[in-house]
Amino acid sequence: MTHFSLDDSSVFVVIGSGAGGGVLGNELAQKGHKVVCLEAGRRLEMSDIVNDEAAMFGKLTWLDRRMATGKPDPNFPVWGCKTVGGTTMHWTGACPRFEPHEMRARTTYGALPDTTLVDWPVTPEEIAPWYDKAEVRLGVTGRQGMPFLPPGNNFKVLEAGARKCGYTDIDTHNMAINSIERDDRPSCHQLGFCTSGCAVGAKWSTLYTEIPKAEETGRFELRPECMVTGIELGPDGRVSGVTYLHQGKRVTQKARAVAVAGNVVETTRLLLNNSSDRHPQGLANSSGLVGRNYMRHFTIQVMGVMPGKVHFHRQTHLAGVVRDERGHRPERGFAGGFLISTVPFTPEILAKNMITGGWGRDLTEVLDKYDQLAGMLLTGEDPPQLSNRITLHPTERDGYGLPVPVIHYEDHPNTIAMKEYAWKAGRRIYEALGAENVIEMGDYIPATHNMGTARMGDDPRASVCSPFGRTHDVANLYIADGSLFPTAGGCNPTLTIVALALRQAQHIDREVAAGRL
Amino acid sequence: MLTRRTVVGKMALAAMLPAIAASPLSAIAATATPKPTPEELATAALLHTAFPHARLDAAFYSGVAGRYLAEIAKDPAAMAEHRRGLALLDGSYIAPFAQLPEMVRRSMVARYDQEPFFKALIWRGAELIYRDAAVWKMVGYEGSSVEYGGYIERGFDDIDWLPAAGGAK
Repeated sequence: MTHFSLDDSSVFVVIGSGAGGGVLGNELAQKGHKVVCLEAGRRLEMSDIVNDEAAMFGKLTWLDRRMATGKPDPNFPVWGCKTVGGTTMHWTGACPRFEPHEMRARTTYGALPDTTLVDWPVTPEEIAPWYDKAEVRLGVTGRQGMPFLPPGNNFKVLEAGARKCGYTDIDTHNMAINSIERDDRPSCHQLGFCTSGCAVGAKWSTLYTEIPKAEETGRFELRPECMVTGIELGPDGRVSGVTYLHQGKRVTQKARAVAVAGNVVETTRLLLNNSSDRHPQGLANSSGLVGRNYMRHFTIQVMGVMPGKVHFHRQTHLAGVVRDERGHRPERGFAGGFLISTVPFTPEILAKNMITGGWGRDLTEVLDKYDQLAGMLLTGEDPPQLSNRITLHPTERDGYGLPVPVIHYEDHPNTIAMKEYAWKAGRRIYEALGAENVIEMGDYIPATHNMGTARMGDDPRASVCSPFGRTHDVANLYIADGSLFPTAGGCNPTLTIVALALRQAQHIDREVAAGRL
Repeated sequence: MLTRRTVVGKMALAAMLPAIAASPLSAIAATATPKPTPEELATAALLHTAFPHARLDAAFYSGVAGRYLAEIAKDPAAMAEHRRGLALLDGSYIAPFAQLPEMVRRSMVARYDQEPFFKALIWRGAELIYRDAAVWKMVGYEGSSVEYGGYIERGFDDIDWLPAAGGAK
């Protein structure tokens, strides 16, 4: 077991062990660098992962206090994880790439009022090889020679209905779930429960891929249950160390450089909560943009009571996709597009989602036909708005004594228009197969795709980080999560987070070689 | 047709998510209490009105009511709010809520369904009811699958009624 001294100022400190931090940390260790990975949550064993949503919710979820204004739930505005592996424990494994038109959002969509749409400073051509590497790393199905997962019931319903509606770009999606034994992990057993942690390890999660591999190098030390509170700067303005709370004690680890990958809310909080004379608005926040342009995809659902049994719980959550609505076709009345994929619910979660809209027979007549339900999830692009932002509460404190983050979010009119269209598109798919009843459900599930609050760009006045995710203000401080995204695209963010982390690792390695880090 | 997305009003969404502490399900089975109290009767009637399943009997709803009351008994504020709600339901009609015909009960609940007592009852009630293995069986949910090797050999792709024209079958 590798252990680095707190005084060792040659270590890279990575804050967070999820898709961004876990990959970056492992990649740096593989390249010969010393890494201390600080993770706020516990390290679970495989035997801790059970097929029980309620139990796993408690084990995985970030439950420290958060607040919200605007649209999100005031008490639970985002659904993130506080555990080794981060949200790679909770994610469905969906790995779509950003489309080139989405990376050129400003050019493609034009000037959308009340947005800060930009083109990515990383071009589609530049990121393509990193997507290739990320797909190989994660074992993404339907890519790089990995077979697709087999079609199951919920997907077959979606596909059949979608084809009747004229859609054609349909398959079991590009998933970071093993379709064959690979990487010392088994193929998918179709357990269901994907968002509760994969009990057999078929779904890629850094807990049992990146992190143990990094540890095998002898250059990587994971420190779980370490909540970072401070980033210290030396007299030269560079980061000199990181302070964290571990078992009630305050500990400081010296560092050569630091990468923050706390998932958007925690990354923002850490930067904003570390103001100083040199950084009066918060660390690396001379642009005033840290915490701003907060984006989250809408995640709405349509449930169909189908004419026959579906048993939609019997397979992976996200079991297939229809991509035909992903493109930018302004004639639909909005910019950007969305993906249509499958989703199942347990009776309990279905009931709780539906309770939001009513009780009584409207609810129970759907639950009584639980085994006939098909379900789809519609996820679409959310344009960046300066006013959607994460701030720190002036007085409220959480259990660590840290200011409670406040998430403010409102849908842009473009998002509302896209959602209205998406509900109709979804409804049509199940109606095309003679659904007895179709239920449209809102985006009540708290956001799990968080992006934008430390956007990359070339101009230090209009962005927080460079195109490599280095903060413009602090030469050895990096961001390695969805915060970097200048725009949100119309697809799940994890593959892009991983691709950017791999690219960032190469950049850091070269900076070290050049004597700049 | 019900359109849930049009519903206004902020609900406590955190409560939609599974509670942290999973409760044992076996205790849901109706306990053979000699004579239910008016409070238990009213709570059971309320649960039945909120979650009416023809395949669940009165004893089931009584059992859930008993558990719910036992839980909130530990929280004086919650119990006070619940009692306030029951008093609203009992006090504004010709007979105790539990004795009203179902149709009337529904209209009574509709009048008070934004009250905290009712929201609390349906959130927790949904957990107590839909986390019950007997209810899972009733609706056709099969639960944990890892101990059986997943659903891959147990019908994950056994759908047989889809039109051939879809190309899926």
